[in-house]
Amino acid sequence: MAIPTNIKHVRTINRPGITLCIAREGESERVFTGSSDAKVYALDMAQEKPEAVAYEGHASYVTGVAVAGKHIVSGGYDRKLIWRETDGGKLVRTVDAHEKWIRAVVASPDGSLIASVADDMVCKLWNAESGDLIRELRGHEQLTPHHFPSMLFTCAFSRDGKYLATADKPGHVVVWDVASGEQAAAFDSPEHYTWDPRQRRHSIGGVRSLAFSPDGERLAVGGIAKIGNVDHLDGKALVHSFDWRKAERTFALEHPRHKGLVNELRYTADGEGLLAAGGSGGGFFFWLDAKENKPLGDEDAKMHVHGVACGEGFAKVYAAGHNGVAVWEMTA
Amino acid sequence: MTRAGHHRLCGSDVHRRAFLGAAAAGAAALVGDVTGIRILSQPALASELRRNDRRCILLWLAGGASQLETWDPKPGRPTGGPFLDIGTSVPGVRISELMPKMAANLHRHTAIIRSLNTGNGDHGGGSELMMRGRGREGGLAYPDLGAMLARELGQADSQVPDYVSFYSETEGRNFSRLSAGFLGSRYNPIELTDKMALPDVERLESIGELDHRERADLRALWSKRFARGRDVSAVSSHNVAYERVRGLMASDKLFDISTESQATRDKYGPTQFGEQALIARRLVEAGVPFVRVARAWWDSHGQNFETHQELTPELDHVMNALLDDLAERGMLENTLVVTLAEFGRTPNINASLGRDHFARAWSSTLSGCGVKAGSVYGRTDDDGQHVADGEIGAGELFATIFQALGIDHEKEYHVGARPIPLVNPGIVPVEEVLA
Repeated sequence: MAIPTNIKHVRTINRPGITLCIAREGESERVFTGSSDAKVYALDMAQEKPEAVAYEGHASYVTGVAVAGKHIVSGGYDRKLIWRETDGGKLVRTVDAHEKWIRAVVASPDGSLIASVADDMVCKLWNAESGDLIRELRGHEQLTPHHFPSMLFTCAFSRDGKYLATADKPGHVVVWDVASGEQAAAFDSPEHYTWDPRQRRHSIGGVRSLAFSPDGERLAVGGIAKIGNVDHLDGKALVHSFDWRKAERTFALEHPRHKGLVNELRYTADGEGLLAAGGSGGGFFFWLDAKENKPLGDEDAKMHVHGVACGEGFAKVYAAGHNGVAVWEMTA
Repeated sequence: MTRAGHHRLCGSDVHRRAFLGAAAAGAAALVGDVTGIRILSQPALASELRRNDRRCILLWLAGGASQLETWDPKPGRPTGGPFLDIGTSVPGVRISELMPKMAANLHRHTAIIRSLNTGNGDHGGGSELMMRGRGREGGLAYPDLGAMLARELGQADSQVPDYVSFYSETEGRNFSRLSAGFLGSRYNPIELTDKMALPDVERLESIGELDHRERADLRALWSKRFARGRDVSAVSSHNVAYERVRGLMASDKLFDISTESQATRDKYGPTQFGEQALIARRLVEAGVPFVRVARAWWDSHGQNFETHQELTPELDHVMNALLDDLAERGMLENTLVVTLAEFGRTPNINASLGRDHFARAWSSTLSGCGVKAGSVYGRTDDDGQHVADGEIGAGELFATIFQALGIDHEKEYHVGARPIPLVNPGIVPVEEVLA
């Protein structure tokens, strides 16, 4: 397929607070979002003025939301995972899932598993239906190389569901064999992490997004490039790609125009194109030619994009951001 | 330096010398100030204070720590950010979950002030203000807090420095413009940046220890003969200055924490901030009246929460270790530990998930000497946007610091004929946090 590099803003539904994550129910226009007000919202984006139906239960920012079968699973900085029915939002269960902030929640492609990652530096696999904990994946250090608490920001399943990748603040990436829980590969992408030992003596950055190529051979790693002034997200948007089995980096791109964190990465179905979304004070979308290692079309998003939900065709891309939920169309 | 060493330096025999030396110091200021600025001390009060051996350590959170992620959390509010609050050892008082150690010990030593409105959200202006207790005024160079406390608490013939400031990071290092101002260079800080040791105090390799000592003895002999029959304060001042040089050269060992037990070093932790706090304890133990330990850089315009996940637990650990250590050594009742910055941070969270500069409603703490432990003064509104109760400015905070240390905040210096009070007229301390 041709890479849909024409990016067009359709509309933005303003929401109070910060919308931090988003998931879509199948191929419908119904989305679930997680917010800084500790609520999950259901919105039917097909409506002209979507009503935001609120689901309470969390006690802090909701940072991960995933749809698996008939369940919507949310996770937050309150360390809890909450299962609800997608139809009506009835509470199914609440689990004290982690010891520290949950940073991301994703569903396996077949919807049978939920993966959660948190600042306790553990990735946990859950049965999406029963909520049973299947296993814990431990392969990330608790502290950064500079003695500060580390953060496990992101995770992603391969398209066939056999592998799960996790990545942390200093840039350590682990690929797990889902069936066995063993490490299939591990490597580092330290360019995503900035430690300032002299001017300000703290760090910023970290790997914020991961995506397997459709054939499962490559792993894209997103974040922000080295930053001179760590007071701000003042580094170029950064995407690396690895032949993860060999732990070899196959390309690296600092976007020439956009600065900030790459919070989301999505491959096209043929693996030719790679969409990146994120931001700093503002936001961005940009496409990469994943084979030629070069930037293609891009667009300012007018809000820091924290999360993206879309189908394989990218006809409609739903974005969660600082000011609400936006709808974008992307065409070849 | 052991506790015994402390007594040797600060014990009762020193007080008599301190009293006598105060006159020499005052005379030195009169003679040595080429600008013609005249400083009149109040020897009786100063002597009273010196008997108390009071000290101050300032933990300077450079760049502006967030009050919402430390002492004044607002969980569940739109401005509150993602951190929860936790209960403390003081019933009804809650602080950020990032500070569990201070929460557990809040009742022992610490008072929180949550109602600073200092009006200057600029790094440079805010730093100058919060290091002096007042803004600039015409051509008058006000002394900073360290210089005033060195003047009030220091001993004229002290063998150790009066005012030491650590600031290892480069960002914001010069914003405070540390200076003794009209008090004169005698009270300027020793500023340590690259190395945690006094600069330029090593004896020249070409001069042996014996040679060095004999030169000093010879100089002292000639000075003594010269002074015989003369009532010249400049001679006394000259001799005091030379004695201080010898003392400073000897005090470099205070900066060497390798002589501390591993258990003590572990208590403070492996960070630079922790090691400097340990040195600060060694310095006040040896009689240094004021030490500033700056920890930069809290200026979290982007990723405020990740920044505070790094820096706040470090502050929690180091501050708690310092207070514990001082208390175990019986020093905390005479040592005031202050946390302060140039300002706090905005309740509003920007698109980079950061917080910006905010001087309208923010927090400070006082621990130890003269402080009503477990007290909380002032209140901000539900979103932390404004002070709702007990608003104070930099002057009131400084008056409170002076009062906690037993210094009359209405005391006046004189610049020429002009009286200059330690804080501006009409300003009063926050009695609610004072013991």
